[in-house]
Amino acid sequence: MNNNTVLELENISYKYKNDLILNKVNLQINSGEKIALLGKSGSGKTTLISILNGTIKPTQGEVKLFNKSFEELDRKQKSKITTIWQDLRLIEDLSAEQNVNCGLLAENNFYFAFKNLLNISSFKKAHKYMKLCRLHTSIYDKKIRKLSGGQKQRVAIARSLIQESNILLADEPFNNLDPKLITTIKNLLLENVYKNNTKKSPKTALVALHRLDLLNDFDKVIGIRDGKIFFNIKRNNLKKIHLEEIF
Amino acid sequence: MNKLKLNYTSLSFLPILVCIPLGYQLINNIHFGGFKLFQDFLISAFNPKIDNEIIITVIKRLNETILIGFFSWLVSIIFGAIFGIISSNIFYKIFNIPNFFYLIIRFFLTIIRSIHEVVWGILLMQIYGINFSIGIIAICIPYIAVNSKVFAEQLETIDYKSFESINQINAPKFSSLLTLIWNPIINTFKNFGLYRLECSIRSTVILGLFGIGGIGTSIFLSFQTLNFRELWTYLWSLAILIILSGLIFKKIKFNTTNKILSIFFISVFFITILFSFSYFLYFIFNNNFENFNSVSSLFKSSSDLGLFDFLKLILETIILSLLSTGIAISLPPLVIGIFNKNTSKIFIKIFAFLLRLIPTPVILLTLLTFNNPSVSLAALTLGLHNAGITSKLLFTNLDSQDKRNYIAMKSLGISKKTSWLLGLFSQQAKSYLAYCAYRSDIIIRETAIVGVIGSVGLGWQLQESLSSFAWQEVTLVLIAYSSIAIVGELINGKIKNSLT
Ligand SMILES: Nc1ncnc2c1ncn2[C@@H]1O[C@H](COP(=O)(O)OP(=O)(O)OP(=O)(O)O)[C@@H](O)[C@H]1O
Ligand SMILES: [Mg+2]
Repeated sequence: MNNNTVLELENISYKYKNDLILNKVNLQINSGEKIALLGKSGSGKTTLISILNGTIKPTQGEVKLFNKSFEELDRKQKSKITTIWQDLRLIEDLSAEQNVNCGLLAENNFYFAFKNLLNISSFKKAHKYMKLCRLHTSIYDKKIRKLSGGQKQRVAIARSLIQESNILLADEPFNNLDPKLITTIKNLLLENVYKNNTKKSPKTALVALHRLDLLNDFDKVIGIRDGKIFFNIKRNNLKKIHLEEIF
Repeated sequence: MNKLKLNYTSLSFLPILVCIPLGYQLINNIHFGGFKLFQDFLISAFNPKIDNEIIITVIKRLNETILIGFFSWLVSIIFGAIFGIISSNIFYKIFNIPNFFYLIIRFFLTIIRSIHEVVWGILLMQIYGINFSIGIIAICIPYIAVNSKVFAEQLETIDYKSFESINQINAPKFSSLLTLIWNPIINTFKNFGLYRLECSIRSTVILGLFGIGGIGTSIFLSFQTLNFRELWTYLWSLAILIILSGLIFKKIKFNTTNKILSIFFISVFFITILFSFSYFLYFIFNNNFENFNSVSSLFKSSSDLGLFDFLKLILETIILSLLSTGIAISLPPLVIGIFNKNTSKIFIKIFAFLLRLIPTPVILLTLLTFNNPSVSLAALTLGLHNAGITSKLLFTNLDSQDKRNYIAMKSLGISKKTSWLLGLFSQQAKSYLAYCAYRSDIIIRETAIVGVIGSVGLGWQLQESLSSFAWQEVTLVLIAYSSIAIVGELINGKIKNSLT
């Protein structure tokens, strides 16, 4: 534990019925680190991310954000984390721009939520981030259920970016995207795009992914297998043998 | 010999066996004294009275009916939505409220729902006297509870994962709640709004028969004075109202992307809430509870109603529900199956429309012209009225069904009736029975209406106890009523689950 740690897992286990899905996981994420999370399908990546953002409670162990456990934190502090879900979790009956605006709910009051549903709120910021995600203006007011897979993916990314949080958890965010879009989105996720924002602290990111060719932009790589962390190393030290161990 | 197999098809026809005891009692009770009256009643349907005077009365009375019906609809659907929200799982998840409160509020709503609006109406009239707003209140009380169930069921369809994602954004709780429930609520308004409006207009008419005002009161008075031509003028004008309101409602679009319309709907929403609250306060502070001496009289023993009599009334009410449900289930497929021709179909449809249109008390009063009051007669009335409703659903489903099986069977030389049964109806039977299970919940509640008029069961006892101000008996009857309805709802829920 050092002053730089933003998120920390201490001896986390997660049991579902009789299956041990995460097994004594210890992890420290320091401010500004870009971490890639590797592991084959079913190894526990999504579960780990859900525990990191507080959506599921671990059966054992403790999660700490800014050195405090989740129970001690207030709503504003918890909203410092943003998540891009593997299954997106958009609201299907709302339009793309309304969904993106949902990312702003935390920093606004009830009246904003109300105006958003009535389509009378400002969509300026939403449009800015949708544009950054290369979403075409013609889909801004379309219902989610009418969008293509890649469009939905980018709406979910825009909803996360608009929160302008400095801790990003992303679960396979490059699904459904073509190679050109992947490069664009990767830069958006890892760099601080909130240039004219006062939140100056560097961006911390943990990204679960399957594509090894994208590892170059990350500082660290974590390998997970059967709910156990097998390695947690600098990317430069990643060897073939590491990958053989987890895949 | 072929064994009778118990499948969904045969189960749809079996309940017609209730006609055996029913018919026996009806034949024993027949009298020909009023047969002429019955004939007059039927003939007058084709010869309603039309002159300036009656048209003015019709317009005036319909206005009252529309006003009561519309306002009770508006209030009950808005508060239904609110109660639906606070009795849905999602509300308790977002606010982290213990499940205990969820169970309490659901139980409370179930009890309120189990008592028919006519019973509420009779009760309130007895306490406050006849009054325009009593009609609205009497309809609103059970309707709010019924609507809240519809809304809560829709809210249960919210995906748990979208709840988790909104939760992770850590928005203020009311913002999360509103964002999640918005679409299910709007969709429920769209899909159930018209149906509930129709229901509240029908309820207004029935309450009118008991003196609340509007077209129902005119119908009752013209029946009492045996003015059948006038009676049919009222009935036909009511038919026109129901058809027209359906057409108009279909034209209204709840377009949530239209800003001006949305703001209009929202203002109606808040104005209704404000108005209801202020009226509620006014009502509480400005009524003298003349007849309702004190709450303690509820528990004072003043009853000469023996336990045995009471049990008999409960049994009578249960039998009444069972017999009516039997008719409502089996009569429509039987009649449609036997008279399976295009021309006879039109007649059946018109007849079913009339059964839905004519309020049950009027059907009962007409039948009473040649039959003495009995459980069977009340059951026949309730059964026929509800058969009108179940047959509408059956027709809609049959008409929209794929007919290839039916045509193929007919071309094989199988008789038309058999092909209809095996090729068409058999595929509908399961969902039809599920709907009937739902319908029988309503039948149990409606036994109150025919009970009051046909002097059977708890409904009749309620009327008796109320007019002699025996509040303890009233309480007992109400408890019995709601217990029957709640048990019925539980059983039907089990049946529905096994059918879907
Ligand atoms: N809701 C759940 N109920 C029961 N078991 C679950 C649930 N969610 C995940 N699991 C189990 O937990 C294990 C880890 O699942 P998880 O979704 O974390 O894997 P993953 O690494 O994200 O896989 P993928 O790359 O396919 O997304 C799997 O064996 C899965 O079957
Ligand atoms: Mg996963």
